[in-house]
Amino acid sequence: MNATTHNPLLFVESLSFKVNDLEILRDINLSIDDKEFVCIVGASGCGKTTLLRMMAGLLSPTRGHVSYCGQQVVRPHREIAVVFQDYAKALLPWRTVAGNVSLALEGCSVPAAERPQRIHELLCKVGLEDRAEAFPVQLSGGMQQRLQIARCLAQSPQLLLMDEPFGALDAMTRQTLQDEVTRLCRDSGVTVVFITHDLEEAIYLGDRVISMEKMPGKIGETLVIDLPRPRDQLTTRENTKFLAYRHQLFKLLPSGH
Amino acid sequence: MMRLFKGLMIPGCVLGLWQWLVMIQYVKSESLSYPSAIAAAAIGVIQDGTLLVAAAQTFSGAFSGWLVGATLGIVVGIAFGLSQTLSRLMKITVETVRPIPSVALIPLALLIYGYGVLLETSVVAFSCFWPLLIVTESAVRGIEPRLIEVSRMLNFNLFDRVIKIILPAALPRIFVGMRLAAAVALVVSVTVEITANPMGLGYALIVAQESMRADRMFAFIGWIGLIGWSLNTALLNIQYRWFGKMGFWEEQV
Repeated sequence: MNATTHNPLLFVESLSFKVNDLEILRDINLSIDDKEFVCIVGASGCGKTTLLRMMAGLLSPTRGHVSYCGQQVVRPHREIAVVFQDYAKALLPWRTVAGNVSLALEGCSVPAAERPQRIHELLCKVGLEDRAEAFPVQLSGGMQQRLQIARCLAQSPQLLLMDEPFGALDAMTRQTLQDEVTRLCRDSGVTVVFITHDLEEAIYLGDRVISMEKMPGKIGETLVIDLPRPRDQLTTRENTKFLAYRHQLFKLLPSGH
Repeated sequence: MMRLFKGLMIPGCVLGLWQWLVMIQYVKSESLSYPSAIAAAAIGVIQDGTLLVAAAQTFSGAFSGWLVGATLGIVVGIAFGLSQTLSRLMKITVETVRPIPSVALIPLALLIYGYGVLLETSVVAFSCFWPLLIVTESAVRGIEPRLIEVSRMLNFNLFDRVIKIILPAALPRIFVGMRLAAAVALVVSVTVEITANPMGLGYALIVAQESMRADRMFAFIGWIGLIGWSLNTALLNIQYRWFGKMGFWEEQV
């Protein structure tokens, strides 16, 4: 690949979405590069989740299109995984922790003989190896979300779409998971689109932060986050650049976000 | 133990009063036996093997009909639950065929199958089909949409989606339907035996009636009640054992 024929991993082109006469998204253009960590922030109801569902191929846009590796996304793709916000609903309550991870391996036709080993590796990655035989309901919220992340990673995705994955978690768990997700995504070389309404979370995690405007949802500004990695919950958040980004982003979003 | 005692106190008194009224010859009736004679007959039907044979016949009719009817009901229910179109196309048919009392099909089934287990199986299957169809359809409709999205993201085909997501997610509610259908199956199989089929507990009741053995009639009625009760208790236990552990999965019931 040379600099002039730049191929994005995910490309969203003049995408609009309407439900009857209600305009949800208007003329969205986005391009996401391989191994990039892109955060999308916006007020609730601005269509962030709708946009993510279209990137996942779960929903078809009214106009425009989404393409992944140059191919139009019309249905879910095996290399694209989604981490849903409501982890409790996304897990199979009748399967154990190991069984839930196994589901994704079954979906990817991994031979039964290889599954136990893969499950163990994935559970080790998210620190759930001791709870393999537990049922989801026996886990805390943070653990359930970790399990969902492990299940997504089992798909060996190239692109991970995360829809406010830590929105329902307490502040402490959220910080731990932010660092874990950063590490996991770096290690597996996966590209991430991360949706959040938390400005600081977006700056802390992202290589790039895109703000969205509301009614109808459209792309606002893009901020390239030039903060050193690995990032640290204390020092990064005290960095003057971090605070400047926060200031800038805060002004971009309408008050009462 | 105390609860058992409390529960048995009133029925025990009634039985005692009944026995006493017969003993002082206050009540004299050909159709009304008395507790000690009934108890003797209840043991008698075990000893001469009538009960075991009759119960086995009724059970095989009820069980096979329940199995066939419930399975078909679940399969069609899943199809209706997944396809709104199919469900709407079949709506009028379902609403007209369903209210037919299963007992009204006995003459037809008799014509087709003659006497025997098949007669009973077919009528019982008809009666078990409907509750399972309705319960399964609504259970499939009620599945958490997020789970369907998870299966879509994993590119499951229809078969995998049904086996791995839809059926287990709907199972707690389907099982409740199966438990209710089991009670219906027993009622219908005994009815078929009383009205037509010369076998099983229902037929044993008719034989007792025709030979003026009120004590044996009461004994068989008692045994039918006991079988129904133990069937329901057993299924309730299975329900708790299978679905009790998994926390909020059970709440969907």
